[in-house]
Amino acid sequence: MAQDSGVQYEPVAEIGGGAYGTVYKARDRQSGQFVALKSVRVQTDQDGLPLSTVREVALLKRLEQFDHPNVVKLMDVCATLRTDQETKVTLVFEHVDQDLKTYLEKAPAPGLPASQIQDLMRQLLCGLAFLHSNCIVHRDLKPENILVTSRGQVKLADFGLARIYSCHMALTPVVVTLWYRAPEVLLQSSYATPVDIWSTGCIFAEMFRRKPLFCGESEMDQLGKIFEVIGLPAEEDWPSGVTLLQRNFSPLSHRPITEFVPEISHEGADLLLEMLTFDPQRRISALSALDHAYFQEG
Amino acid sequence: MSNVQLSNSTLERLAARRTFPLHARTSACRNLFGPVDHDELNREMKLQLREISERDQRRWNFNFETDTPCSGDYEWEETPVESTPVFYQDSVQIGRRRVTVPVKAKQCLDMTPRDCTTQDVHTPRPVEDRLSSPEATIPRTSEVNQENCADKLNSGKKSRKSIVCVRRKRTSTTDVITTTTTHITDFYMKRKRITNSTETNSLKAFCTARL
Repeated sequence: MAQDSGVQYEPVAEIGGGAYGTVYKARDRQSGQFVALKSVRVQTDQDGLPLSTVREVALLKRLEQFDHPNVVKLMDVCATLRTDQETKVTLVFEHVDQDLKTYLEKAPAPGLPASQIQDLMRQLLCGLAFLHSNCIVHRDLKPENILVTSRGQVKLADFGLARIYSCHMALTPVVVTLWYRAPEVLLQSSYATPVDIWSTGCIFAEMFRRKPLFCGESEMDQLGKIFEVIGLPAEEDWPSGVTLLQRNFSPLSHRPITEFVPEISHEGADLLLEMLTFDPQRRISALSALDHAYFQEG
Repeated sequence: MSNVQLSNSTLERLAARRTFPLHARTSACRNLFGPVDHDELNREMKLQLREISERDQRRWNFNFETDTPCSGDYEWEETPVESTPVFYQDSVQIGRRRVTVPVKAKQCLDMTPRDCTTQDVHTPRPVEDRLSSPEATIPRTSEVNQENCADKLNSGKKSRKSIVCVRRKRTSTTDVITTTTTHITDFYMKRKRITNSTETNSLKAFCTARL
């Protein structure tokens, strides 16, 4: 295209002081669509890329064929060898301006209208049901990983990659938010699709509160905060073979959820409690949640 | 007949030693498809990688190696991380862990669009040079890496992969065919004899197993 050569990129000022990086973003002049690059620098050994990374990328590409409306679109994967020990994998994603975190922060004073929360929740659960039906556990669902387009479309992000996280994450000095972690994850007992439903419950409550429901500072503290709301589970509900025992916590009985989420409707409260069920086996699934009476309200 | 076979197997063994220098004495290892020309394989791999890189670069008019936009359909801009969802931030994966980086500050990048010529892919990246740590130069490290990779492919553990590589080599370059004298039919013959299990053949099988 002749006009292309005329377009100049202005040199961007030096990003000061070693603090922050930048994100590359582009607009397709033909379609007007925006894309953004996300680079993952992967440490490699003599075998090349770790198999887990290769599998994740393959999985992401396979999922892409379904073109689900509530999952962020992955347009391409480009790998470049940087050094012997490092390969840079650049993922080309569709670009969405904001995530749920900023969306909630920007919401004017009384918060989001009930109908909008319902719509966001339906989309979130749709995306989640899709991932779960493909045997993908997000594991790190939080407002930062939920993108919201300017038209209010919800798109789940960072899921395939989240599987690369392991339970050893807790051992690293990196600060990872515990606020959306399911009790079984905090207790290091099991990691299956119900962990995402727990996170979704926390996010559901946050949509009304516009602040997180459980803000723990350590695993122990996080569990304590959870039990203050749902009550200390019975000993027979406690998972076996975990380090932290039920008797390590002070006995607490559950309090009405509306104490913490006053704006929620009756049906909404019921769904929320189904999501914040201690026992992962008895926690509601994404598909059943979509059938819940809460979504008939209107 | 058996003499010919023995000398054949000796040749085979020698070839195997050359092909699998580390593996030769450690466990059973049969050289099924003749010696592998590692230099050729390396060139092949590099060519493939380069083709992939060039294709990526053309598709997105972006040089992924140097993180520099080129001219094309996509209008690239660099935005500060604060004004974009956290999800898009770069991250480093160490082992099975992944860490979001605001680690290294990127220096001022020349955002003037450049032509997406193959030159960009071949030559060491000017921007990288300014930024990079004292690690070895790019062409050399990639060579070492691919050599390792080739060795692994032919270590006998991943036999299927080595088959693929040899095949690719044969189909794509003509001069290799002349140097590779082993045919798949040779292999069938020997296999048959081993299963017939005369004394010499079982000895030979034993020798091959010891390679």
